[in-house]
Amino acid sequence: MIRSLFLFDMTFWLYLAALLLYVGYVLAKRPGMQLAAAGHPAGLPEDSGWAAQIGQVATIVTVFGWVVNTLALLARAYERMQVSGTFAPWSNQFEAMAYVSWAIILGYVLLEMRYRIKAIGAFVVGIGFLAMGAASLLPYRYQTAEPLVPALNSYWIYIHVSITLTSYAAFAMAGGLGVMYLMKERAERRGSRLRVLASFPDLETIDELGYKAIMVGFPLLAFGIILGAMWANYAWGGYWSWDPKETWSLIVWLIYGAYIHARMTRDWEGHRAAIYAVFGFLMVIFCFWGVNFLLSGLHAYA
Amino acid sequence: MNGERPTVADPGPTPKSTPGLGWNELSAEVVELFASIKLAMFLFIVLAMTATIGTVIQQGERPETYIKEYGEEAYRWFLRLGVTDVYHTWWFTSLLGLLCVNSLTCFYKRFPAIWRSMHQDKVNVALPFIKGMKQTVAIPVAGPKDRVAEGIVQLLAEKGYRVLAKNEATEATIYATKGIMGRVGAHMAHLSATVIVLGGLIGSYYGFQEFGVCLEGQTYHIPKGQFDLRVDKFWIDYHENGSVKSYNSTLTVIDHGSPVTTKTITVNDPLVYKGIWFYQSSYGDAWDRVDLARVNIKEKGTDKVVGTIDLPWQKEVSLDNLGLKLSLTDFVADFGFDSTAKKVYSKTVEHANPAVKLAITEQPSAKAASVQTTPWIFYQYPDLFEIQGSKYRFELVGYQAKKFTGLQITKDPGVNIVWIGSTMIVVGITLSSFIYHRRLWAKVIPGESGVTVHLGGNTHKSQLDFQKEFRKLTERIQTLKT
Repeated sequence: MIRSLFLFDMTFWLYLAALLLYVGYVLAKRPGMQLAAAGHPAGLPEDSGWAAQIGQVATIVTVFGWVVNTLALLARAYERMQVSGTFAPWSNQFEAMAYVSWAIILGYVLLEMRYRIKAIGAFVVGIGFLAMGAASLLPYRYQTAEPLVPALNSYWIYIHVSITLTSYAAFAMAGGLGVMYLMKERAERRGSRLRVLASFPDLETIDELGYKAIMVGFPLLAFGIILGAMWANYAWGGYWSWDPKETWSLIVWLIYGAYIHARMTRDWEGHRAAIYAVFGFLMVIFCFWGVNFLLSGLHAYA
Repeated sequence: MNGERPTVADPGPTPKSTPGLGWNELSAEVVELFASIKLAMFLFIVLAMTATIGTVIQQGERPETYIKEYGEEAYRWFLRLGVTDVYHTWWFTSLLGLLCVNSLTCFYKRFPAIWRSMHQDKVNVALPFIKGMKQTVAIPVAGPKDRVAEGIVQLLAEKGYRVLAKNEATEATIYATKGIMGRVGAHMAHLSATVIVLGGLIGSYYGFQEFGVCLEGQTYHIPKGQFDLRVDKFWIDYHENGSVKSYNSTLTVIDHGSPVTTKTITVNDPLVYKGIWFYQSSYGDAWDRVDLARVNIKEKGTDKVVGTIDLPWQKEVSLDNLGLKLSLTDFVADFGFDSTAKKVYSKTVEHANPAVKLAITEQPSAKAASVQTTPWIFYQYPDLFEIQGSKYRFELVGYQAKKFTGLQITKDPGVNIVWIGSTMIVVGITLSSFIYHRRLWAKVIPGESGVTVHLGGNTHKSQLDFQKEFRKLTERIQTLKT
């Protein structure tokens, strides 16, 4: 028990450090002589000397934090194996949060590797950090690896829970990008000369990446819900019982379904899409946390 | 999936008819409305909003519960709007039905075009069409027209595009497309809504869900399955720390008098026989029988305990030293007496006022005659009755209740259809999320020195990736070796 909790703690501090470094990176970044000409990809703005280094350290710390997060989950899996013979390291609220932040950070690292835009880290790593932080604020009794209640003791927990949580991570990323979009847009509209903006990608890119994150989350959530239905068919004697948790995940899915259809029409790009992504993420948070603590139902295991 | 589709490439077969209010116009309007994205968005949002009701207001409770919590006036409104069972109200079901109509109409209206473009695409486009596209570029390339066109065709084919080309004297036109499966996937997802709802309907009309309280060693007839079920055993496994590991019932199916199959079911592992599923759903203490009851025997005179005995269920036990024969004949968990039928029964299933019925035979002794009696002995009121003529007083000090296992018995013939629909929705959404449909047109027009390649393209989503790809293609065409 001590081992994994120690690693989870370490993950928390590393993510905090990574977040601060990304914020530092954004602050250190100065606009170059001329921003990239329209349509040209590699026009990295020059900076005042420190930004590149800070950015590099930020990435390294993030990756290291993610590795520690992975180790923490593995250690927890081992501990679970000792206690109850199942290993899924996402079997209670705490572990689920730790797993979500793992998935968010993984997603972010992949995004950075592919698109080389570090400023997003200030938002997305921020959410990963908050998830980890919220997990460690849970009372100790929620953090330990207690044996599973019989209803959870099934191989479905490996796949249903992990897929659903991964979709939450994708929506978290979209939410973070939405906030970033709105901040940048606001600053631009005010004609702000804030140099913070220098490191931000252009609005269209933020918008598109946010849309992509939702396009990853949407099928994953559908799959997660359906796996949940299959599990319910084995455990509860019916694939759908309108339990608050399943209803709320359907609600979240419907909300993003509306978003995806809205994107087909032109006027739902940019500003509205960003607000909607933030709203959707708030609904995800409610589905993930609110339902467990506020509403009763078959999912109230924690 | 709406229309960024270029109309030039896919000209409608008939010119627009003059506006009127004929049948055709009306039906076209109706199709337009029911296939619209606006309706889809509206339904998604309204369904999401109304679905929250059932998670805030408890569903299917007794009237008193609602009246106590919300008041009588509110409850009347609840009934009117059906919010105590919101997911089965006519209006919620209609919304689901409308969603099916919406997605089916969308399929009907848009899928044929996709189908056609999978099989027969037209190369013909005019130059202004290419120039008017979201991504468009004019690239001067050195080399003869035919060779350049050939090079572009090869390049696009390498990139996985399906390429069509048309070579004319003055120009060469190339059309390339990729990722149509993304659109097919979207329509697969559209169809899945109806399939899932259909599966649900079949389940609710032809399926059933029942609950059975079963005792070990008993055989129960399952009328809807035409067979019997014997409950062999029920037990609970525990973890080392004392928490429950699993609830287990061993069940045997008896069909036409002979045992067919035996299975130990647990919470996540039901028994399935002839389409009927038996789930381990709950357990509890039986209210009408016990395994054992412990009785203290006190001597009336001295009030001393002269014997303690564990009585098994309905078996006579002799206590020769006390001259007693005892037998535990009945048990109720919550004692009640029906004065008209003169019968004892258990008022609830709770062990609120447990009592056992003993059959006592007391041998005649020097002081008293033989006594035969069948008193009820109460756990909570040990001194309630005195047995006339007996030397002894009997106290019920404890009992080991017989456990029952709660089985849920379910049949749902629609479930496999639901799984088909589920597969369709997951595969469909995945395809449409990760594969995007792109189309490119190129015209190679000979100029004074070399040729000019007009390249244009569009996609219905993933603009960023497409931009990148378009840029790379442009670079490759610029450096085309002919």
